[in-house]
Formats: sequence, structure tokens, C-alpha cells
Amino acid sequence: MKESPQNKKLEAVLRSSKLVAGGFMGVDTRSVSEIIDSDKNELSKFNITCEQIASRMQQITNTAKTGLGTWEKIEDNLEAKTDEARGFLPCPWPHAGRFVKRVTIVRRINTSETIRWSDLNIHLIGEHCFFQGKGSTFRIEPKKLIEMIF
Amino acid sequence: MILTIFTAVIVVSMIGAALAGVLVISEHYLNDYGQCRVTINDERELEVEGGRDLLSLLTAEKIFIPSACGGRSTCGLCKLKVLEGAGPLLPTEEPFLDETERKSNVRLSCQVKVRRDLKIEIPKELFAIREYTCKCTEITDLTQDIKQFRFELIEPKTMDYVPGQYVQLRAPAYKKSSEEVYRAYSIASDPSQKDIIDLIIRLVPGGICTTYCFEYLKIGDEVKMNGPYGEFRLSETNAPIVFIAGGSGMAPIKCIIHHMINTQNKRKATYYFGANQSRDLFLLDLMKEFEKKLPDFHFVPVLSEPDNGGNSKYEKGLVTDAVRRGLKNASESEAYLCGSPGMIEAAIKVIRDLGMDEEKIFYDKFE
Repeated sequence: MKESPQNKKLEAVLRSSKLVAGGFMGVDTRSVSEIIDSDKNELSKFNITCEQIASRMQQITNTAKTGLGTWEKIEDNLEAKTDEARGFLPCPWPHAGRFVKRVTIVRRINTSETIRWSDLNIHLIGEHCFFQGKGSTFRIEPKKLIEMIF
Repeated sequence: MILTIFTAVIVVSMIGAALAGVLVISEHYLNDYGQCRVTINDERELEVEGGRDLLSLLTAEKIFIPSACGGRSTCGLCKLKVLEGAGPLLPTEEPFLDETERKSNVRLSCQVKVRRDLKIEIPKELFAIREYTCKCTEITDLTQDIKQFRFELIEPKTMDYVPGQYVQLRAPAYKKSSEEVYRAYSIASDPSQKDIIDLIIRLVPGGICTTYCFEYLKIGDEVKMNGPYGEFRLSETNAPIVFIAGGSGMAPIKCIIHHMINTQNKRKATYYFGANQSRDLFLLDLMKEFEKKLPDFHFVPVLSEPDNGGNSKYEKGLVTDAVRRGLKNASESEAYLCGSPGMIEAAIKVIRDLGMDEEKIFYDKFE
């Protein structure tokens, strides 16, 4: 599929390391649209939408924030904490929006398995259905995310 | 017939080429803003090549305006007054400026393009800010994701700063970042060692500067930093002090306590340090040393997950819980906070509940 000039420009921003070290695409050679389509396809197997996932992630982050950097119980077998750093990250898509540099770490208590996301991740998933490219720092596998938080 | 078509194609092509030529030439001349004059505080004039943003232009002239995002309009720190020549306010600036600032012609210097002569106002203290070349001489692991970096100043050889201030560290372009960036870190060192700057840095996943520091910066490497910046500092009263800071937020507090020792400041002080587990605590020996040197200083580690099933020697719960339990004379005390906005907001609420006036609460928010 031929990419539009807007998509090409967006992809250049996502592949660059202007906003995050290593960029948003990691080592993924697929285009942004291909990554999004592939992840949407994965979501359809679970009958769940990007908006629903982002909403649940935000809910967990909001609870975790109250722990001021310590673990907060989310459910019987799930806990989460947040770490914050100075500054903000803008959304790489061409629209207004900047997000605190906050990372939420979610841990399953019985297995100690963890998953993490940034505030920007929540926006990228909710608004753009973009889980980032494979090999990027904040790539989240939709299947693992769904199994962890729902 | 063929000749007519051929002639028409040639003519259209020539017109197209001529228009492209006009565009290239006009772009060259229209985007050439030539020499522009930047008048600073009605005292100093700079003759500069137009076309660049004001922040980078001032940096090139060794006038350092605070900026934590390297000019991407995400931190909102690089504010200054542009009295003439700035053009209209940009949408990228609007979220960072309140009504009073807009009326006073405050702008984000990273968003103002120098296209004509400008008149600007810069706080005088910013002229004291210098760029320093330094060498990394020590890297110490403090926890699994926090390190202390020691830098020896090479040129200039010393830095005069107020304990509590911060510097901007430059991460050069490296494998995971195509551009150099500057990030703000509080000074953690003993201010009596004017040729040394210690920074306590937590690794931010995907962070351009912290990734550079943790994965690429080696002992012996030369780096650049500029500073000092910031208003966070110890007051000159004798009020009892409550310090509240966890993780890398310890940096400015540590610097201030060194200063208290150096100046024989005998104010009563309690430092509440919040963490998850005992493995997240660090510099405990130094804190003990501080307690010996300052008889009225107490370090109170607070753990949300105490080891040994709760039989820990440390306070238990959130750092704000410990403050609520331990702070007895809030209305007479001053509080110094450093950390995430969430922690600071929660701490302010608790100490206000306990009776401390707002003007006695000083903080260095991670924004």
C-alpha cells in the first residue's frame, strides 16, 4: 500500500529519536499502518477495543498514582506503582497534547510478572491504536496487556 | 501537428522551470532575514543572523536560558519577555502561559523565531550562568535504577551555586538519539567542593539523557553542562525544617544538608525519605554522618513494604503517613520538598492540614 505524505512524515518522526531514545518504532520494519492494523487484528480476537484498553490503563494509573511511588493494590492478584521524571512528552501525531513523563508498572502478585506503560502509551493506544513497534522501549504486546489488566 | 504538440510541451516545460526558478530564488531571499539586532534589557545588543529560534541563538551567544526539553516546547521553562518583534503567540506556547504572562509579553524563547530586530528582557541572574566542560570521574550505583555521577569541572574550573539549584546536562548525539539534548538535574554535591558536581539520576525508560548516562557515559568522558539555575534554596530563618524527598529527589536536599554542616547551621531538621523496600534506600552511611555532624538533624526512612514481615527498624507506610505521625510543630516549621508532582501535592496537603502556612512550603517539582 502506498503511504500518504502525511503518513510518511509521521513515520519519520516515529522512527527518529527526537522524542524518546531509540524512537517509537524500535527494530520493526513494518509501516505505522501495518503495525496498527496487525495489532487491531489481534484485539479483534479478544473482542475488545483500543479505547477500552486505554480506559482500563488510565484507571490503573490513577489508582497507582495515589501510592506516591509505592505499590498499590489494584485487584487481589494485581498491584501497580508509578515513577515520575521531570518534563513532558508530546504526542508524535500532528495535534496538541503533552504528557507527564510517568511510567506505570503493573505486577501480578503470584508470578511477579510485570508490564509497564507511560502516560503517552495510554494516549497512543486510546487515540491512535498504536502499541509501538517491536523492539521499542515501550512496545506493549496487546495479548499480554489484555491478559494482565482485564 | 507533431511539431505543434512538441512546441507546446517545450513551452509548458519552460514556464514550469521558470516558475520553479522564481520560487527557489524568492525562497532564498524571502527566508534570508539577514542580520537582526537583539537588544537585551536595553543594555546589551547582539548582531545575529536571522532565521533561528531565540533560545538556540542566545545559547550560541553563551546566554543560557533554563530549558529542560532542549527547545521542543514541552517543558515551558525557557520563558522571557519579548517586548518588540516577536510576532503573534503560537499555539505551542499557549498552554505554558497564563493571562498575566501573556499581557507582560512573556514568550517561550524556543518558539520565537528571530526574523527582525527584537527587544527582550532577561532576568539579570541568568547572565551569571556559564557553560562548563567537565569530566566524569565516578559513577556509583545507588539502587537498581539510580546512580550518582561525579563530574570534575575542567573549564571554568569552579562553579558558584546556591545549594538547591540545578544544572542542565548535555547528552550528545549517540546511537539512540540523533540530536544533542539538555536535561535538568539538581546538584547533589558538597558545595564547598566548587570543582565537583555530583548528580543523582534515576533511569527513565526511553529517556534520551538518562539512557545516555546509564548506557553510554563512561568514567573519563568529557561532557558539557550549564548552570546554575533555580530558586529552590534554604531560607535564612531559624524555623525547624522538614525535608520530604524520595529517590533522586534526594539530590538538592543532600546538597542543602552539606551546606548546613559547612555553615554550622544548627536548625532542627528532619528528613523523611520514602521508598518501597530497604533495598531502595541509599546513602544511609552519609545520612548517619550528617546526624553526627548536625545534632538536631534526623533522617527518617519510610518504607511502604518493610522487610521481615513488618519488623523493620524503619517507619512504615507512605512518606506522607510518617510526616502526619511525626511532625509536631508544623505551624512553626518550614518544609522543603523535592519529587514528583503527585508526591508534592500529597505532602503539601498533609503539612497544610497540620497547620503549616503555604509560604513556608518550598518545593522543587519534577516538571
